[in-house]
Amino acid sequence: MANINYNPNLSLCGGTPPAPAPAEGASAAPVTVTPSVELHVCMGLNACKGHDRNGTNNCAGTGYCATATQHNCQTLNDCHGQGGCGLYGDAEQQMLPGANECGWQGSCAVPIQAERYSTLGENTGKSVWLLARKLFEERMMRAKRAVGEPPFKCGPPENWLTSVLGSYDSCGNSGDKRCSFGFNNPDDHAKELCEGKKE
Amino acid sequence: MLQTKFFSTDSEVTPANLGDAIQQAIEIEIATIPVYLYTYYSINRVPDQDAISGSLAQELVKHGRTVKEANKIALDLSAEIMVYANKAGALIMSVAIEEMLHMALSSNLKQALAGLPELIGKSPSVWPACLPGHEPEFPINRDKLSLDQLITFLKIESPDPLPDKQLQAAPIPYKTIGLFYQMILDCIETNDLPYNTHSPQLLPGNAYYAQNNIDTVYYDKEHNPHFTNAPDSGDLLYVKDRDSAIHAIHCVVEQGEGFPGAPGFNPDGSVDCGKIIPPDFDDFDKKELSHFEKFAQIYCHYKTLNDRFNKLGIGKIEISDYFVVNVPKNPSTAGYPAHIRPVSDFLNGIYTYIFVMVENCYKKSGNTQYELFMFGIHKSMIFILNSVCGDIMKLKYTSHEDGKEYFAAPTFEDYPFGLISSPKSQLIELYTAAVNVYPTISYLGQRVQDLPDVAL
Repeated sequence: MANINYNPNLSLCGGTPPAPAPAEGASAAPVTVTPSVELHVCMGLNACKGHDRNGTNNCAGTGYCATATQHNCQTLNDCHGQGGCGLYGDAEQQMLPGANECGWQGSCAVPIQAERYSTLGENTGKSVWLLARKLFEERMMRAKRAVGEPPFKCGPPENWLTSVLGSYDSCGNSGDKRCSFGFNNPDDHAKELCEGKKE
Repeated sequence: MLQTKFFSTDSEVTPANLGDAIQQAIEIEIATIPVYLYTYYSINRVPDQDAISGSLAQELVKHGRTVKEANKIALDLSAEIMVYANKAGALIMSVAIEEMLHMALSSNLKQALAGLPELIGKSPSVWPACLPGHEPEFPINRDKLSLDQLITFLKIESPDPLPDKQLQAAPIPYKTIGLFYQMILDCIETNDLPYNTHSPQLLPGNAYYAQNNIDTVYYDKEHNPHFTNAPDSGDLLYVKDRDSAIHAIHCVVEQGEGFPGAPGFNPDGSVDCGKIIPPDFDDFDKKELSHFEKFAQIYCHYKTLNDRFNKLGIGKIEISDYFVVNVPKNPSTAGYPAHIRPVSDFLNGIYTYIFVMVENCYKKSGNTQYELFMFGIHKSMIFILNSVCGDIMKLKYTSHEDGKEYFAAPTFEDYPFGLISSPKSQLIELYTAAVNVYPTISYLGQRVQDLPDVAL
């Protein structure tokens, strides 16, 4: 796993400043440098080979999971492009899953489960993951990169995320996106969301 | 009951007392926030349907239904209770966030017309409380969801004056919140007032305010989401001249009470559960109900459910027992036992610090204000406060007043930050004391450290 640990001192003015770099010529203990990967928010949103949580994906868009730090709510993302969106945030923010400008400006949890839908803006009631994937594919088009198929066509189902991450939670009190009241079929909802229909 | 008196003899709004009147409006809005939030948190929005269904089936069998019949009816009723609990929560939260919007709009008005809004330490300190200046006075409690509590909510948002039982001499008296704002509006319309356009306000377009979030959504029986607020119902607004001031006031009044012609209580004092009519909405697309009508919907839906239970012979069941948490009426931190008191103090510290930060937003502009709002207020409100509200309600205690067992609940008291150190450093101390008695909240430690450091 290639997550970069979050440092609050780098995210907002105030608090303890980071330790200064060693002076030139000063002897410093050797540092092990971990090869960096691009930090992204979910399955199928990686730009490069080996840039998913497991480091085993073969090409752009085929990764299994986020490299950005997992978190469960608004304002908890570490940096640029590392926030989810959909359940909180204004209409503009909700159009930017995985594309926020700066740390703490993401408006929802990472990774983005397949069942999540937007609550404001043009994408209201529609899949957040599909929107994230669309933004990603547009970016890859500008970068002239070929994009492969994601492991799940419409993003990672919440049950799958729970099974691989141990636990998974996204913010809100209004209930599990897959729960049943005895009269609905959660799989039908997932299919409709996957097809781009409104919830 | 505590009622702040703003004026000694005035009974109308004039340019001379306009600032005090707008401050009174701000404090009316603030007074509603702990009340609505307290009731919101008393609702379990996702109760256990299997448990409800099983319990209902047993009752129905006891009343002569076959097992097959009972199971079928119980499944349907339990689904309806699931929908009701979630819907009640969504509607109350949708009103609460608009009360926060109203506080900001009134603060923008004050900043433009009379100077810095005062927000810190303005939550009611004595309970039952009442709306500052409202005639007649009526008691407002922090209490769990019930039909009585919904009647209080309806009184707060009533578009019609309440029957005068015993009028008291109150400065700037008013019969409804809408009529109080109307007095401010009349003053603004009839006087050529100077508008301060240099001091910071909370402006639209900065992601400060969002009409809907996942907490304002509920699902119907087929699990289709319903959004309780509409995007066109209102937003923050820059108060820079007479027109924008009038626009801000209309937004507050229409969200609360609907458009002119919206009915209030029936003449006999009962709740009007009749058909929804166009003035009951607060937006032009007729997608969002006024606060009064939202609360009427919760009230009437409960009555309908009750009628169904009666017809099935199981009317003695208190439906709310399935999804309302047994929290005390008007608790105080001082009344909690030692294993809860520090957690309540921490919760109130966060609650109060939000007002400290909002007030500071009226002293800062540009990116500093943005960081303060997004990283301080949003993080505190949506993540830290919401999380600790949920966590404190897992703690039980026995009341020394009535000897009964309750779940603890957020008290939403203003925490008295001292002047010797910064509020943030005191907040960190409150967190440390709380986590010592309740390690469950340790996951919040880093997030408290992350908050901006704002002075009183």
